[in-house]
Amino acid sequence: MTATVQHDPRLDLVLERVVDIPPELVWAAWTMPEHIKKWFTPAPWKTVDCEIDLRPGGIFRTVMRSPEGEDINNVGCFLEIVPNRKLVWTVALAPGYRPSNPTFDVPAFTAIIMMEPQGKGTKYTALAMHKDEESRNTHDRMGFSEGWGKALDQLVAQAKAM
Amino acid sequence: MHLDRVFRALGDPTRRAVLSRLCTGPAPVSELARSFDMALPSFVQHLDVLEQCGLVRSRKMGRVRTYRLVPQPLRAAERWMAQQRALWERRLDQLDNYLLQLKEEMK
Repeated sequence: MTATVQHDPRLDLVLERVVDIPPELVWAAWTMPEHIKKWFTPAPWKTVDCEIDLRPGGIFRTVMRSPEGEDINNVGCFLEIVPNRKLVWTVALAPGYRPSNPTFDVPAFTAIIMMEPQGKGTKYTALAMHKDEESRNTHDRMGFSEGWGKALDQLVAQAKAM
Repeated sequence: MHLDRVFRALGDPTRRAVLSRLCTGPAPVSELARSFDMALPSFVQHLDVLEQCGLVRSRKMGRVRTYRLVPQPLRAAERWMAQQRALWERRLDQLDNYLLQLKEEMK
């Protein structure tokens, strides 16, 4: 069963990449700790530990080390796993789907990584959805036709000109 | 400043339109309300939401309440989104580099 993704342009980031690498290898890079440690955390931070239990409800844990040597433990939970196609996890839940305590340094998000073969390579899309507790209730009322990001950009541009 | 509240306030088209109008300068309630086909109490509620999260400030002079834009929360919201985007861009740049490296090694 695959849930439909309702994408909220106000709070979500969508990044799309095409790489000259087959989906199997891209999948491996996203799902094996020894690979994750090599790239997951933006430099100069490092991923010093990673634990993956690749099944729905399984743990996705990374430890990021700051340039000053401080370690931050991030614990998330896999939600959906379709080998070589789709990977979904969230940091809003602990392993076993138990709601986790919010931490303030890492904003709560759910990430959806979708992959599809393109020629000999892979097109992959990373969608990071951020938390907005009340928006769900008002979702229909607000009408999401216009991109939130664009609206904000315009407002900020105008405000800067003041 | 609560970014959650700022984002929530920005999620509504009426409130965004009010902010757009206030970008051109302060305005009294009556003038702001005129542009919207909405009962005054509902409109005032929108203004309250904007004021509570710090996006606007109002001042009453005699019988007229005037609103003006406070740009700082907008900039904070923009900064937060930009930071999140930069994080993911850098993460994926590193992934793509790493993948190319893997491919080389497998040759």
